[in-house]
Amino acid sequence: MGRQIIEGILRRTASVLLVLFVLSLMIFVLARVVPGDPARMALGPSATAEQVADLQAEMGLDQPIIVQYGRYMGNALRGDLGESLVTNRSVTADIADFLPATLELVLVTVFLVFLISVPLGVLTARYRDRWIDNAGRFFSLFGVTIPSFLFAVGLQLLAGSFFPDWPILGRVDYQLNAPDGPTGLLLVDSLVHGRFDVFVDALQHLAFPALALAMAGIGQITRITRSAMIENLRKDHVLTLRSFGVPERVVVFRYLLKLSSIAPLTIMGLEFASLIGNAFVVEMVFGWGGFASYGLTAILQKDLNALMAVVLISGLFFIFANLLVDLALSLIDPRLRLRGQSA
Amino acid sequence: MTLLDVNGLNMSFSGYGRTRQVLHDVSFSVGASERVALIGETGSGKSVTAKAILGTLPGNASVDGGSIAFDGLDLFRQSMADREKLKGTAFSIIMQDPLSSFNPVFRIGQHLDDVMYYADRRRGEVSSAAERKARIHDTLRKVQLADAGRVYNAWPFELSGGMRQRVLIALALLHRPRMLIADEPGTALDVTTQDEILRLINRLVAEEGLSLLMITHNLGVVRQTADRVLVMRHGKIVEQGPLAQVFDAPQEQYTRDLMAAVPPLYGPQVVDQPVSHKTPMITLQGVKKVYAKRGLFNRGEGHLAVDDINITVNEGEIFGLAGESGSGKTTVARMMMGLLSQTEGMIAVTGAPAEGAQRLSQIVYQNPGTSLNPKRTVAQTLSVPLARTEVPADRQARMEELLTLVRLPVSYLSKYPHELSGGQKQRVAIARALAAKPRLIILDEPTSALDVSVQKTVIDLLLELRESLGLTYVIISHDLSLMRNFCSRIAIMLKGEIVEQGTPAEVFAEARHPYTRALISAIPVLTAEEQALKPSVTEEERARFLVTSGGGQAAPQATGTE
Amino acid sequence: MSHLDTTDDTQMTAAWMGWYRFSRNPAAIIGAAIVISVLVMAALAPWITPFPDHVGSVVDFRNRHAPPSAVNWMGTDKAGRDIFSRTVFGFRVSLLLVFGVLVISVPVGAVLGMCAGYFGGWAEKIITGLTNVMLAMPPLVMALAIGNVLEPTLINAMFAITLLWWTWHARLVYRVTVSVANEDFIEAARLAGAGPVHILFREILPNCIAVISVKTTLDAAFVILFGATLSFLGFGVKPPTPDLGSMVADGRQFLPEKWWEVLAPGFAIFYATLGFNLLGDGLRDMFDVEA
Repeated sequence: MGRQIIEGILRRTASVLLVLFVLSLMIFVLARVVPGDPARMALGPSATAEQVADLQAEMGLDQPIIVQYGRYMGNALRGDLGESLVTNRSVTADIADFLPATLELVLVTVFLVFLISVPLGVLTARYRDRWIDNAGRFFSLFGVTIPSFLFAVGLQLLAGSFFPDWPILGRVDYQLNAPDGPTGLLLVDSLVHGRFDVFVDALQHLAFPALALAMAGIGQITRITRSAMIENLRKDHVLTLRSFGVPERVVVFRYLLKLSSIAPLTIMGLEFASLIGNAFVVEMVFGWGGFASYGLTAILQKDLNALMAVVLISGLFFIFANLLVDLALSLIDPRLRLRGQSA
Repeated sequence: MTLLDVNGLNMSFSGYGRTRQVLHDVSFSVGASERVALIGETGSGKSVTAKAILGTLPGNASVDGGSIAFDGLDLFRQSMADREKLKGTAFSIIMQDPLSSFNPVFRIGQHLDDVMYYADRRRGEVSSAAERKARIHDTLRKVQLADAGRVYNAWPFELSGGMRQRVLIALALLHRPRMLIADEPGTALDVTTQDEILRLINRLVAEEGLSLLMITHNLGVVRQTADRVLVMRHGKIVEQGPLAQVFDAPQEQYTRDLMAAVPPLYGPQVVDQPVSHKTPMITLQGVKKVYAKRGLFNRGEGHLAVDDINITVNEGEIFGLAGESGSGKTTVARMMMGLLSQTEGMIAVTGAPAEGAQRLSQIVYQNPGTSLNPKRTVAQTLSVPLARTEVPADRQARMEELLTLVRLPVSYLSKYPHELSGGQKQRVAIARALAAKPRLIILDEPTSALDVSVQKTVIDLLLELRESLGLTYVIISHDLSLMRNFCSRIAIMLKGEIVEQGTPAEVFAEARHPYTRALISAIPVLTAEEQALKPSVTEEERARFLVTSGGGQAAPQATGTE
Repeated sequence: MSHLDTTDDTQMTAAWMGWYRFSRNPAAIIGAAIVISVLVMAALAPWITPFPDHVGSVVDFRNRHAPPSAVNWMGTDKAGRDIFSRTVFGFRVSLLLVFGVLVISVPVGAVLGMCAGYFGGWAEKIITGLTNVMLAMPPLVMALAIGNVLEPTLINAMFAITLLWWTWHARLVYRVTVSVANEDFIEAARLAGAGPVHILFREILPNCIAVISVKTTLDAAFVILFGATLSFLGFGVKPPTPDLGSMVADGRQFLPEKWWEVLAPGFAIFYATLGFNLLGDGLRDMFDVEA
């Protein structure tokens, strides 16, 4: 048994490394075929051809692309992601500054998604075709049909019209002098420093961006939970418990909920990439100074080193999220844990 | 004294804008300590009747009339809560298909404990966890699960099919009900395991003085487990009476047909197929097959599927490979077809393909539901082999000829599989095999997915085809009573090895290997005479080959997930 | 005894059951109606809109930021152009994007998915590996990066989306193929002499059609949504051609006072994606498949 677990971990790690390798190579090649010379862009139009050539040599742009890639990855593994052409700072330092904001937003979003969609999915399946089902389905349809940017714009409009005092830009009121560190997550740091005013303010700032970002996931996960529940309700083991008079609420909320959480967890892992993608839009609309805003600027400004880092870290985000999902799944499903396979 | 009284029960299912009556005026009763069997084929309404008694009918079912009384209590007049109280305490069900009867992400013990906890609570009793566990362990031991602690803590997939079926019986016994309703118990299991399960149910019913309503399609099972018999067809009870009366002198044509469809094991009705001494078609010598395990640490290891197989299939014979699941019979058949290569030994194919054919052999699969492409019509299915064996101009005529050969109307060419019954699908599968002009056909459990009356028509058809087309068959099956009458020679397989080989007459008259004797004696038969002719098996032999309770290794078929 | 071996005449065909489910599903009918209406509006835009010339570079500064009125049903934008007319024309760009993306990515994904599922081995390793890499990449980021490397135009956006999109179809078809490939009827066809082309396109593909059509319908909604997001971020058609996402982006600057400038294009996006989603769900129930 133990051998299978170790083997599973090894295989997964290998495939993660492979995914990262291909991903980074793809982006690297893509970034290097950009029409428009990065050295020229960095120096501006007034630079001489000689200056440009010097900088090209300094950046290694005259080398074959595979050598460039090798050097880039070598540096990246040591934590050096190069220098941003826009901020003129080390990309690593930029990322360290911007990442916690996005992490906070994404974590709260994922929490919101599960908090709302799992109970809703269970209720709509349990009361299938009744009013609660129709209402829940309509609500989840809203989530999947309306793009995040419309939600974001809509929520801002709503706040602007009905709650003029509600903050709709940024992470926290600057006048509050939010404490620094240790995690960079304002909700955590404010509690560590005992600043409840900052905590409440940060939570207010978070509410709308997180909701706008969560809606797509809520719609998706509610639907998946509902259909998993409905499918499992037809299974023989439900009949077994019903035949011996185990109450319906126990059958649904204990036995089926655990079994039916497998599908939504898997989907949540897969949807993580589009969640990160939507974060780009939501951060832009709400002026959320996060990693996604940074990425968007990098893309628009053709800031190659920053772009590479953003793409790599987005990929890492996805991979890490999916490792967590796998871990959760193997806790839920003994077949995965003990035999390394699932139904 | 009558315990259960079903009176004039009418029921219907609605769906897709239509209503279909499934029970017509069903009336019967079960007395205290009486064993009653309800026999019927697919769609006869036997399982619906059980669900109506239990109160687990699906939402689209409606009771249109009649009553069910248990111990004088009219069930349809009880409140929901009162009906719930009866579940498990007044009557219990032994569920069929142990594969998916337990929630795969909860331990066996959790299921048992919840059932007990809520039944206790409904009856206003308070029980402690430790006391419930002790009672559950007692019940598990009662169903011959000696290692109760291990079973209690096991996940469903860790138990073999036979063990799960025993747990389901334990579930039914937890609250000492007065009546057991058994819905095809053990049907999905091997014949020896099924035999053990039936013995267990019989013993429990006798010891605890329970009533039993046995729902089954197997007439042999009925003889073992019933005092009185009800025959059901298309939602009606067509015949009922004491076991001896119905079995010895059936009144209805349908009952007689059902009885006649069961192949006899012993006696004057048994058919002996002539042995062929023509040239060999396929010879296997010292054949061994090892399935390599995949994985980083498993290099060089493997699972030994079959070992030291020596078989010769002569032209014109019907060679039977008998064995239970996991015995390796399918592996042998696939190696004969060239679909698998052997690890060691020699396979000599000496028969030549027929003129115009690409292969010597074709196969007919067990499950006609998955062996025909659901998206292709009969004509499209047949056109694939015909594209290789016939010129375009002759194909249409040949298709019609093939359908006629398998006794299907020519108009069926344009039908899709879902428009056909199981037996009809199997005929199409046979026609497809014939279209490729094989000289040898492998029959992989060709009848086990079919109702008993349909089984006989398919077998009769196969015998006719062999006669008229001069075919050779290799049949794989676990059904020894079928093979007794169908094969000219049989080989019995156990754990990858052939333990006995010979003509059916020899093997059934004096089986040398104790496993063969155990296998034959486990087959449910229709008459006391046949029962008496079965070989005797000592308890020690039974223990060696049959009893899987306690620490038994999970059988391969039981570890499959849904 | 063959009287026992007959089909039950009360048995319903799968087609009848599917149609019954579809026709009793008001949501599916509404979805179909919405999709048809969007297609008709896009096709007939020049004839049914009050100001078809406002699609071009018309500027009418006297009438800029006009609220909804009898003349301009949905008001006018910062250049005084009729928003209703531009919104209806906006459907054209969305549908063009849908068509451009799906016409390539669906067949490519389906064929590659079938090959991976049926042949196994290296084909399977490479194709599933590639889809795994694509999955790890936020599609929006990828599309933005590609779009930016090239030029931020509709064609390039389409190209970028297509590059990612086939992987979803490949995954889906792969899953169905793997479950079908081990069925007995595939082996039977092989034994009857059928070659891989026959097996892939005649035996396996028909079993994937239901799943593909459901997924494609739902995808149409997603491509509209995705394209709108891209153009919202500035990767769309060249102005002045109207495009729903960039119309929302333009109007956003004048919120909350000039609310009508985002209302019509925003609602149009919702309307079209809702239609395709409802239709896709209806088809899913009708075919009874997971997609």
